[in-house]
Amino acid sequence: MASKQDELFRFVEYSPENAERIGYSNYSYWRSVMQNFLKRKSAVFMLFVFVGLVIFSFIALAIGKYDWATLVTNTDLAFHKPDGEYWFGCDNLGRDYWCQVWYSMQTSVKLAALVGGGECVLGIVIGCLWGYVRWLDRPITELYNIINNVPMIIYLTLIALIFRGLSFPVMCITLIAFGWLVMARNVRNLVFMYRDREYNLASRCLGTPISRVLVKNIFPYLISVIVLRLALSIPGTISLETTLSYLGLGLGIDTPSLGILLRNARNYFVDYPYLLVFPAVVVALITITFYLLGNAFSDASDPRNHV
Amino acid sequence: MAENRQPILSAKDVEIEFTLRGKVLKAIRKCSLDLYKGETLAIVGESGSGKSVFTKSFLGMLDANGSITGGTITYDGNDISKYKTEKQWMAIRGKKISMVMQDPMTSLNPLKKIGRQIEESITYNQGIKGEEARKMAIEMLSKVGIPDPERRAKQYPHEFSGGMRQRVVIAIAAACRPDILICDEPTTALDVTIQAQILDLIRGLQKDLDMTVIYITHDLGVVANVADRVAVMYAGQIVEVGTVEEIFYDAWHPYTWALLNSLPQLGVKGEELPTIEGTPPNLFNEVHGDAFAPRNKQALAIDFEEEPPFFNVSETHIAKTWYLDPRAPKIEQPKSILSLRNKMKK
Amino acid sequence: MAEREKLIELKDLQITFGTGRKKFVAVDHVNFDIYKGETFSLVGESGSGKTTIGRAITRINPVSAGEIYFKGQRISGKISKEMDLEVIKKCQMIFQDPMASLNERAKVDYIVSEGLINHHLYKDEDDRKRKVEYALREVGLLPEFASRFPHEFSGGQRQRIGIARALIMEPEFVVADEPISALDVSIRAQVLNLLNKLKKSRGLTYLFIAHDLSVVRFISDRIAVISKGRIVELAEAEELFLHPLHPYTKALLSAVPIPDPQLEKQKKLLVYDPSIHDYSTDKPVWEEILPGHFIYGNKKELEQYRREVQA
Repeated sequence: MASKQDELFRFVEYSPENAERIGYSNYSYWRSVMQNFLKRKSAVFMLFVFVGLVIFSFIALAIGKYDWATLVTNTDLAFHKPDGEYWFGCDNLGRDYWCQVWYSMQTSVKLAALVGGGECVLGIVIGCLWGYVRWLDRPITELYNIINNVPMIIYLTLIALIFRGLSFPVMCITLIAFGWLVMARNVRNLVFMYRDREYNLASRCLGTPISRVLVKNIFPYLISVIVLRLALSIPGTISLETTLSYLGLGLGIDTPSLGILLRNARNYFVDYPYLLVFPAVVVALITITFYLLGNAFSDASDPRNHV
Repeated sequence: MAENRQPILSAKDVEIEFTLRGKVLKAIRKCSLDLYKGETLAIVGESGSGKSVFTKSFLGMLDANGSITGGTITYDGNDISKYKTEKQWMAIRGKKISMVMQDPMTSLNPLKKIGRQIEESITYNQGIKGEEARKMAIEMLSKVGIPDPERRAKQYPHEFSGGMRQRVVIAIAAACRPDILICDEPTTALDVTIQAQILDLIRGLQKDLDMTVIYITHDLGVVANVADRVAVMYAGQIVEVGTVEEIFYDAWHPYTWALLNSLPQLGVKGEELPTIEGTPPNLFNEVHGDAFAPRNKQALAIDFEEEPPFFNVSETHIAKTWYLDPRAPKIEQPKSILSLRNKMKK
Repeated sequence: MAEREKLIELKDLQITFGTGRKKFVAVDHVNFDIYKGETFSLVGESGSGKTTIGRAITRINPVSAGEIYFKGQRISGKISKEMDLEVIKKCQMIFQDPMASLNERAKVDYIVSEGLINHHLYKDEDDRKRKVEYALREVGLLPEFASRFPHEFSGGQRQRIGIARALIMEPEFVVADEPISALDVSIRAQVLNLLNKLKKSRGLTYLFIAHDLSVVRFISDRIAVISKGRIVELAEAEELFLHPLHPYTKALLSAVPIPDPQLEKQKKLLVYDPSIHDYSTDKPVWEEILPGHFIYGNKKELEQYRREVQA
């Protein structure tokens, strides 16, 4: 053993490549996000609940005894309590409540998704320009202040007057037109923070156009905040729509929504609580699960949590 | 140098691991170090060599994904490497062992007045409250060389310049007269002119408050200024320890040579500056033999096979390199090391 | 000296930040020229305005008064698109903090070839890949690094990626803004050697910004010392070290850490106190006190300096 070791006491050739070689860590951002997200068991559970609810709404309508489109008012069946025939009972006009609740849920989720998406796109674009282009800061800030300081109820009342009630597309557009504010502000604050970091100065030095700087340099850092905003926005839209419908400023009576159902139930819920309970539970479930889900995803997509 | 002194802090064969993205990083691989009362010990090494991690373990300030997996750290009769609860660490942190971090910008609470921050440290660690704490805080501020301390104690961190902020951080760390003050690259973020003043300040405080100081740095100029003894770290291990003269004038580990060689002050215009090529090894992987071997232009074959043990160069100087083995070929210390003194004199 | 081509000229440069009450004059009345092929160093403390000047030359910061010329043409203020493109191609910058100067979410391949992609300076995809590979090799990195992300690299390697990014544009003039301040002392030599090698092989001209005089002695041809937005002394490198005249320069020199324990412990530290200058009646001027050695001071101080030089 000693002699074998002895002969190793000689000089070896130096390889500059080996000196430079480092280990390779197989890090992929999105894979880390997924791993992080899956580690939070409660979030995964919420995901299942939310997706389950959405899928169930389709199944529920399929297995429901009555088709929403063919509901007829039947005063004999008014306030029929839930039983084998009418699983959720009947509403004040004698229509099956089961398909109403599930159909409304679909409408509300659709509205929330569209509004969320629209707010996202509009908010991100405006927020990025607001934060990055110096001379746009002043005008957009003024615009923000104007829109923000007037209570939304006033805008909506005006629009309801002009358009004679709010149909689905009009409601969508209106909510997007006011919802972009918060997203834009959050994005702008982050863009401000990252705008003058050295790697962005380097890009400017190299002549990179603003669009590519925003997309490649800054946008990846916004993902966490955007997801968080989205997570808050979707349940927020549903609640907002519910409130507006409750106040009579929401979608028309013909378009079913959870808000309309709640509004109707308002008059009767003391005697017939089931009219309120079913839609309220659904609203609560959607709101809570999506909010927690979004929070968890936002945390997971923050690279500082990728350990 | 009294070799019969008992060290006040003694780390033996310490191993620290971090779990990162499912993989294990061996940040410290069997480090031993003794600290004697009243001295200034400098730990030198590149970023990533583990010097900060090593000293943070003395305070229980490792990140959540790190843990001491081996060895002992003996302080004041206790093995503090086995401390698990915050309560145990609270008895040491700030009171007996204190730390000054690198970046003064982020070490201070931007929302609290400077005076309050120092008072808090005093109250928390020594139990002194109210007016007396306030007086002690102001006294500390003047000790660290802040002019007009009464007025400045009522100001916020953003009203101080970088060098002033670092003085305040030092004041907070030293306010409780700790036994050991660990300074983690205290001057790296500062300009050269301020750096010299801060080093002077710490030296003065050390004498005044009878502290033992550990400096962590990668700058040999700082080491030459402050240190009594030097420990050189590479890739999670201490590779050479000695008095400051021994390390500068009689170093034996090839990494220490490379460090001493690569100083820009030694550069000759028109020629290449001697440098350490390559990059430190990735500690996620197992390290075979001497970690510095791939970057050592004069490596021995055995450096790649087996880890060298510590060899004694003198009673106070040890080096972990196969060059000191009697079987090794005759190796001379690089001429540049030998002529270091002459060059500097010019 | 008269025949040398002037690559960059700064004439009476003034840069201010903010407006009205919050106006801060970062750089004031700065005049100097940089000749082709030299390494010109600008040394001063943080906040002295040196980075601001570097960024003004590459058009990151706007100039409030005075002009900057590149090869005789004005590049400060409002200029044409073609001139802007010229500046981008010919004047590049290396940044200070290797941790912040690379986009963490982009591959090294994209980071290095960003400039090429912006102006489509390559024939096809293969050509671009070849250019990236060549650039990486030139700075001592392995081509396989192109498909990785910045966080996998050490500080020194990241700084070299930044250098590759600047050099792939084949510039003539490079502003190196404290390129080694954030690196370990042992890695600094690597980067300095690299910068020197590239200067020789590509005929580059550097503006090297630093706060540590010890570093610049090795690589500079001429050094300018800047304090609070004004250049206080300018001379050839060796001349400045052998005969520093301005008290600020002397203070900077004394602060340089000497890596020799015995010399360092005996060193006397000089502290610069700006209030020793009385400019109320006797206004200071920028004067050439020796050939190639300029200094800023009023008549009384210039007299003092002249006497010092004679001694």
